[in-house]
Amino acid sequence: MIVAASTAAGSNLLVVAVLIAGVTAGTSILFAALGETISERAGIINVGTEGCMLCGALGAYAAASATGNPWFGVLAGALAGGLLALVHAYMVLNRGANQLASGLALFFMGLGLTSLFGAPYVSKQVDTFSKVAIPGLSKIPAIGDIFFNQDPLTYLSFVTAPAVWFLLFRTRWGLMLRGAGERGEVLRAYGHSTVKVRYAAVVSGGMLAGIGGAQLALVVALAWFENMVQGRGFIAVALVIFAAWDPIKAMGGAWLFGAALALGPELQVRNAGVNQFLLDALPYVITLVVLIVLARKRLESAPEALADVFEGSRVVSSP
Amino acid sequence: MTVTTTTEPAAPSAAPESPVPVREASPSRAARMARSVGRWVLAYLGALALFGLLAWLKGVNPFEMYMEMWSSTFTSRSAIGEVLLKGAPFILAALAVAVPARAGLVNIGGEGQVVMGTVGAAGAALALESRLAPWAMILVMVLAAAGAGALWAGIAAGLRLKTGINEAISTLLLNYIALDVVLFLIYDRWKDASGFGQPASRPLLSSSRLPLIFDAGRLNIGIFIAIGSALAVWAVLRYTSWGFKLKVAGGNAEAARRAGLSVGALVLSAMLVGGALAGIAGMVHFAGVEGQLRSGITFTFGYVGFLASWLARHDPLKIIGAGLLLGAISVAGDSLQIDAGLPAATVNILMALVLFAVLAAGRRTQGARS
Repeated sequence: MIVAASTAAGSNLLVVAVLIAGVTAGTSILFAALGETISERAGIINVGTEGCMLCGALGAYAAASATGNPWFGVLAGALAGGLLALVHAYMVLNRGANQLASGLALFFMGLGLTSLFGAPYVSKQVDTFSKVAIPGLSKIPAIGDIFFNQDPLTYLSFVTAPAVWFLLFRTRWGLMLRGAGERGEVLRAYGHSTVKVRYAAVVSGGMLAGIGGAQLALVVALAWFENMVQGRGFIAVALVIFAAWDPIKAMGGAWLFGAALALGPELQVRNAGVNQFLLDALPYVITLVVLIVLARKRLESAPEALADVFEGSRVVSSP
Repeated sequence: MTVTTTTEPAAPSAAPESPVPVREASPSRAARMARSVGRWVLAYLGALALFGLLAWLKGVNPFEMYMEMWSSTFTSRSAIGEVLLKGAPFILAALAVAVPARAGLVNIGGEGQVVMGTVGAAGAALALESRLAPWAMILVMVLAAAGAGALWAGIAAGLRLKTGINEAISTLLLNYIALDVVLFLIYDRWKDASGFGQPASRPLLSSSRLPLIFDAGRLNIGIFIAIGSALAVWAVLRYTSWGFKLKVAGGNAEAARRAGLSVGALVLSAMLVGGALAGIAGMVHFAGVEGQLRSGITFTFGYVGFLASWLARHDPLKIIGAGLLLGAISVAGDSLQIDAGLPAATVNILMALVLFAVLAAGRRTQGARS
């Protein structure tokens, strides 16, 4: 590995610097991937996660600007992401629309809405989150800097991932949700509505994607600009597959992508002489490569209702 | 609306246990038609109304906005020329969605394939421009663009066949990679040393540009290439055994396999043809409008083409109309920016609303195939 001369950022080691920045950069993807995991576990894929993240980012930035409190921003981001996802849920569950096409329209919608309403915020400064060192833990060499000297939203993601896992696999609600994704008819036989469960899953998925967007605006970019999510939402959708619809594995995957995203800027700071655009392509290339390596095995654990979508046949049936 | 009655793939889990009365005592054909047309009109009007509402929220008078969009788009000959100019790559990019859709595939990678098409065309021009006659150069650019687009789509097809990765996801990721490829080339290998300002590749010679149809204006023969391609795709899908096999495989892959069709080869060929068409879309824009690769050459044709194909329900003939309609919306979108002062990307909302309207109104007859 390349060991660069010391940088102002604090850490000399490229690996550590990339991992520190990688956890921060991966957090928005992690939130989106957790949301998408919930949605897909219920049998609905939302390719428009990208749009939900855009709405979340703008909602968060606008609310933080209006209230001066970034936590209100997070709340607004979640609401904005959830509202957009609601459109997807309606289209797919009530109107029988193709999930992939509706998802793409959702992306368009998010892109257009945020550029329409985001223009006033483009060069505005707002109160953002700053790093909070966790006493004790942050003193561990390397690990401390990577995981325990982060912003509050990143800490929130450490808690959210296990919470989503617990929700999905250890609660009655999670059982119903997975039932909707695997065997809708069984759920219906017990008198539950798959539609309601799926609505809840898609909307909470959008809310988590919105929080991801909020993290992007209020922690990573410290700004709002048009189309700022730049494909992270699509990476999150891909990530869900190779994390095998498992929230805990999604954490590792998100940090891997975060590191890929962080590698370019860190190398640039060190004048490594590698072409910037090749580095920019890295996260997408890594996503594809990891999918290639893992896909065959992972796809077997796909929720049953998604198999229809993945095989290009008709979308889930409306009950 | 006649092509929607093909084999329902009767997904086992989706099939209801009891014979649900799908259609009650069917009313007269005319009444059904009227209801269907009414639903579509309502959907489109709804989309326009919602968009007007949003513009109104931003302090723009929606009636004036629509009048302005209309008059700037349809009232002069040069404006109609612009619609045809913009519509040409949309039609080609929509065909790139429609052909794979026939085989049940969702190609969201038109964007990347279009971009790679421009790369192929630009590469061919940079290498051979001084050595070939103008007509031969244009032909070579078309072939290079088609090849580059097909290659990019072929990656997604290969991944689907070898690893089972859904093409919707792989093509989306490939879109972003294609953009970085362009940026890499224009900042590095293909950078025009004598250019000013933003890095770009060396401009095409004027003889290698697509010939103009009229002496005035910008309208070039790209629109003929687009319409010709649409007719060709229509004829091939309708009259060749390949077209028929695609439809069978798209309707029910399992049944196609049992009938002895090589579904893998069909998937691959459908994606390759789609990618080639998208590549030609890139060439038409490159050699017709841009003349050089530059940063910000992300024209979103691929996504608009996806929308056009769904609008037309993947019917190649209707795609001509859908492509031109979206061309008109896109020209009108420019007037949004100029006259109403809204950001250019606002037009994405209108496009999304139209797609939602199509998806919602096309209930029960919608699918990735026609």
